[in-house]
Amino acid sequence: MWLNIAARLFWRELRRGELWVIAFALCLAVFTVVSLTGITESVRSALSQRSSNFIAADKILRSSLPFNEQIFQNAEQLGLKTAKQMQFSTMVFAGDQMQLVSVKAVSPSYPLRGRLLLKSSEQADATTSNTVVKDQVFLEPRLLQLLNIGIGDSLELGVSRFVVGGIIAEEPDAPLSVFGNAPRVLMHVDDVAATEVVQPGSRIGYRYQFAGDTNTLKTLEQQVKPLLTVHDRWQSLDRESAVGSALDRAEKFLLLAGLLGIVLAACAAAVAASQYSQRHQMAVAVIKALGTTTAMARRIYASHLAMVSLFSIVTGLLLGQLASSGAQWFIEVWLGDYRPEFSSRPLWLGALTGVICATLFSARPIWRLAAVPALNVLRQRALSFQLDLWQLVTGGLAIWLLMWLFSGDWWLSSWLFVLCLAFAALLLGMAAVLVRLAKPMAAGQSSALKLALANLRRRLWPNSFQLITFSLALFLTLILYFLRAELISQWQQQVPAGAPNQFLVNINEAEKPQIIQLLTDNQLKAGDFYPMVSGRVLTVNNEKLPESDGREQDAEQSNAGQSDAGQSNAAQQNPERQKGEQQADIADNTLAAGRDTQNSGTASSGTRREGIGRELNLTWLHTLPANNQIVAGQWFGAEDKAQVSVEEKLAERLALELGDTIGFSVGGQPFTATVSSFRKVDWNSLQPNFFMILSPDLMQNFPATYLTAFYLPKQQTALLNEMARSFPTISVLSVDNILKQVNDIIAQVSLALTVILVLVFAAAVLVLVAQVQATLEQREQELAILRTLGAKTVFLRKAVLAEFAALGLMAGVFATLLAEVLLAVVQMRLFQLPFSLHFNLWWIGPGLGLALICGLGWLLLRHLLQLPTPVLLRRALS
Amino acid sequence: MVKKILMSLLPKIAIQAKALRKEVQLTDARLTILQQINLTINSGETVAVVGASGSGKSTLLGILAGLDTVSSGEVYLAGQPLHQLDDDARAQLRAKEVGFVFQSFLLLPSLTALENITLPAELAGIKDATARGRKLLSDVGLTERADFYPSQLSGGEQQRVAIARAFITEPAILFADEPSANLDAATGAKIEDLLFALNEQQGTTLVLVTHNPQLAQRCQRQLNMHAGELTELKPEVGDVA
Ligand SMILES: Nc1ncnc2c1ncn2[C@@H]1O[C@H](COP(=O)(O)OP(=O)(O)OP(=O)(O)O)[C@@H](O)[C@H]1O
Ligand SMILES: [Mg+2]
Repeated sequence: MWLNIAARLFWRELRRGELWVIAFALCLAVFTVVSLTGITESVRSALSQRSSNFIAADKILRSSLPFNEQIFQNAEQLGLKTAKQMQFSTMVFAGDQMQLVSVKAVSPSYPLRGRLLLKSSEQADATTSNTVVKDQVFLEPRLLQLLNIGIGDSLELGVSRFVVGGIIAEEPDAPLSVFGNAPRVLMHVDDVAATEVVQPGSRIGYRYQFAGDTNTLKTLEQQVKPLLTVHDRWQSLDRESAVGSALDRAEKFLLLAGLLGIVLAACAAAVAASQYSQRHQMAVAVIKALGTTTAMARRIYASHLAMVSLFSIVTGLLLGQLASSGAQWFIEVWLGDYRPEFSSRPLWLGALTGVICATLFSARPIWRLAAVPALNVLRQRALSFQLDLWQLVTGGLAIWLLMWLFSGDWWLSSWLFVLCLAFAALLLGMAAVLVRLAKPMAAGQSSALKLALANLRRRLWPNSFQLITFSLALFLTLILYFLRAELISQWQQQVPAGAPNQFLVNINEAEKPQIIQLLTDNQLKAGDFYPMVSGRVLTVNNEKLPESDGREQDAEQSNAGQSDAGQSNAAQQNPERQKGEQQADIADNTLAAGRDTQNSGTASSGTRREGIGRELNLTWLHTLPANNQIVAGQWFGAEDKAQVSVEEKLAERLALELGDTIGFSVGGQPFTATVSSFRKVDWNSLQPNFFMILSPDLMQNFPATYLTAFYLPKQQTALLNEMARSFPTISVLSVDNILKQVNDIIAQVSLALTVILVLVFAAAVLVLVAQVQATLEQREQELAILRTLGAKTVFLRKAVLAEFAALGLMAGVFATLLAEVLLAVVQMRLFQLPFSLHFNLWWIGPGLGLALICGLGWLLLRHLLQLPTPVLLRRALS
Repeated sequence: MVKKILMSLLPKIAIQAKALRKEVQLTDARLTILQQINLTINSGETVAVVGASGSGKSTLLGILAGLDTVSSGEVYLAGQPLHQLDDDARAQLRAKEVGFVFQSFLLLPSLTALENITLPAELAGIKDATARGRKLLSDVGLTERADFYPSQLSGGEQQRVAIARAFITEPAILFADEPSANLDAATGAKIEDLLFALNEQQGTTLVLVTHNPQLAQRCQRQLNMHAGELTELKPEVGDVA
């Protein structure tokens, strides 16, 4: 019976549009969660897939022992894709030329991620292929010149003879370092045995490459654990690089935005439900007077809420999924090789959000609605359906729970939640004070302003609540807007337009002016020339440093230049892995590259001073490089002699203190230097970076080579060939691809951020609309009364505008204040960015508040103000 | 019909109040609204409650109708001890035995005129609600307005719908709190005619609160409320007869 009535009332209510605001708020909450989670996950997986390209796989197991086929079998049983890779150095011979080369032998399935491009010639119309072929080798173009051979000629490698099948045009996991690096030869892994290069004791790097979904890869890691030794270790994608940290920040931002979106949508739902209850209290009193029990009234209205919720949640899920599919499609078009992955997490998270918002934010007012006494039909005492304490508490808990579920980050969600609470309390206090203060202020004002202020004051509590929600909505929009701008500009600073994209290494003294000449002739600007010598650190305070341990490490070191993106990134964290190629430092940090996780054994131990164990690149400079920062001690003065400035992480590793003496050896010649400063190095900058910088006096007598960098526009790439011909010994490292990748990612993430900003803004506007609508009925009556009392339309219009303007301005100022505080905290704590004041905020915030709230208020009330008095009266009284 | 005839033959007590008292707790003091009310209303009687504004008429009506509770004393409605029933039991009793007409009509804005009329019948689980509704709609002269919403009806029309709604469950007792106060004199009179006509037709007990002396005159009994005390103004019909 009640169902019948419930259903009938429901359709009526729908027709009258009473339930739409709740429906819309719930729908928006669900939509926000689904789309944000979905988009975040897509962007994340796109970026990690893209980063996978840099290591040509999703996960790599590195070993110094020959392949254990069991591991490949396990992987294949799990359905993972696998590839083999061996790396070693050897000599190749062609005619009377010989050359040390770095060989990469791979199976035909290589690369698992990214693209290998082999070309039959250097001409544009060359035929291309993507896999290695048996009995053929593929060479880096400069090797052809060094060996003085062409494609189709043959060369000897070990005891075998190979035909040069072509050149390597693109190699996903190309070594980013060419300094001191032997040219690359690519061959089939099955041909290695016949060359007899692999002898007991020879140093070979073995790599097991895997690709597949993350969970399966984890399973594999567990499965093969017993098979591994100290010589094996996993390498996987990591977030240490610039792109990685950009992504991290973007994710945190998205998370933050998502959380805030949820808060806003939940507020909107609560306000809408309160408003709904407010408007329906008389109807409830009537049906109860007519004999409905409280329980039945509750069932009737709860069923309405249930139907609305169901509808909204389903719609929200559908729209959200649509949006995130759209985003996936977009990413797919953009990236080409992106493989969309379906995840159910956004959906259940969205559904849960909907249910929580419906039960804890909307159900409470409706619960109270059903408790309206039947007696109210006689005594028309309007009840207030503002949020009560119980609702605030449960709602607060629910928001917190949602934040936690959504972010998976207990700390961040608790922190943000407490902050929001504190802000709400603060705002409440401020609002109360301000509205009280408004009374004496109004004394000398025009009557429209007086009426506005009187209105504000009379609705003190509802207005404080409105003020809080307005401020909160504005505040959230503001911080998102500013954080987004900040993140994007930070990233762009990392890769400014015209940043050097070509690095020249191994320039000798005589070539220096020629290079400058060549560049000037081509209207290009050479950067600073950094002198370099390689040397060893032997002692600290006359105490000999231990040699590095671990056989596999040695193996890798002897594979001169086998440094790939992953390894060179490791170099950043573990100086002992640092091959001494600054280019690696330059490049690796921009990539989401791998970090090694030690399987066992070689982990460094405690406070013991650890050795570097291999050569470092040393430079000497008069002035501190721009992206370096002295953290302790002082940079060399003109008079200072025999000093060294050390990068802080390395200093920590060597347990150095200012004033310690370091013993170096360069070309067999020992000398010492005093540690005079520690430097913080911005590894994220695409600039040459050095671990040790010596004072210039020390190095005058050593023959040095130089490193420089310059920006080469795309249309001038031909210059690189000319350079390779004229200066065969100079190595060119192009970071163009990396730059492009970084720029692409920044563009994508920026777009995602913009989309999310728009979503959150929509949520904020919805809250404002719900709030203004909530007071509509009351305003209608007020207007009717004022009209009957003879107030002119113009006057009423002014009064209403003034009221909203006051609200908007107050909310804007509060929001600005809070945003500035929170921005400072978030910037410094969450994103590790330096603090800065946001001057723009101080006019955007109040301006936005004023414009938005006035505009919305006006839009929603316009028709009321235009109604002729009789109609207004009739509506107000019915 | 047979039931009605039998009922009119055997005078039966519709409402009885014994030593009824109503107090409300204000922030600093206790306010006594009704003190020591004793009242018996027989089935089928029409009773007007008059008195100054604020004297406690609506409060009494609310208690007699089971909308409000007593502070002390006993109240019986259709034989049921209201003072011993909880909210839900009183609601059920209202659904079965009571009809209301209010000063401000109180129609549900989201339902049409006809739906407003049939609502109590549906709540009481009456089968032929729509047929009854249409009949009543024509009784109050609004057949044409069946699908109008309250906002599309004039005040008098709304009150006619409210009266039709009050009679649809054929309640034993009808309470009306100033049914014509919000209407002009002519319309008010029409509403009153309707009320008495339907009352006659269904043999309902009618308790109405009014400031209008003419309306009070039309009732068999007139009770005067003064500062929470009730006095009979006119000898009971029974006594006269
Ligand atoms: N819940 C309450 N709290 C405080 N005072 C109350 C309450 N209910 C009623 N009163 C007071 O009791 C008195 C009687 O109220 P009641 O509504 O019964 O008067 P009334 O006779 O119907 O007046 P009117 O003719 O103006 O409708 C009034 O003074 C009213 O203010
Ligand atoms: Mg009254």
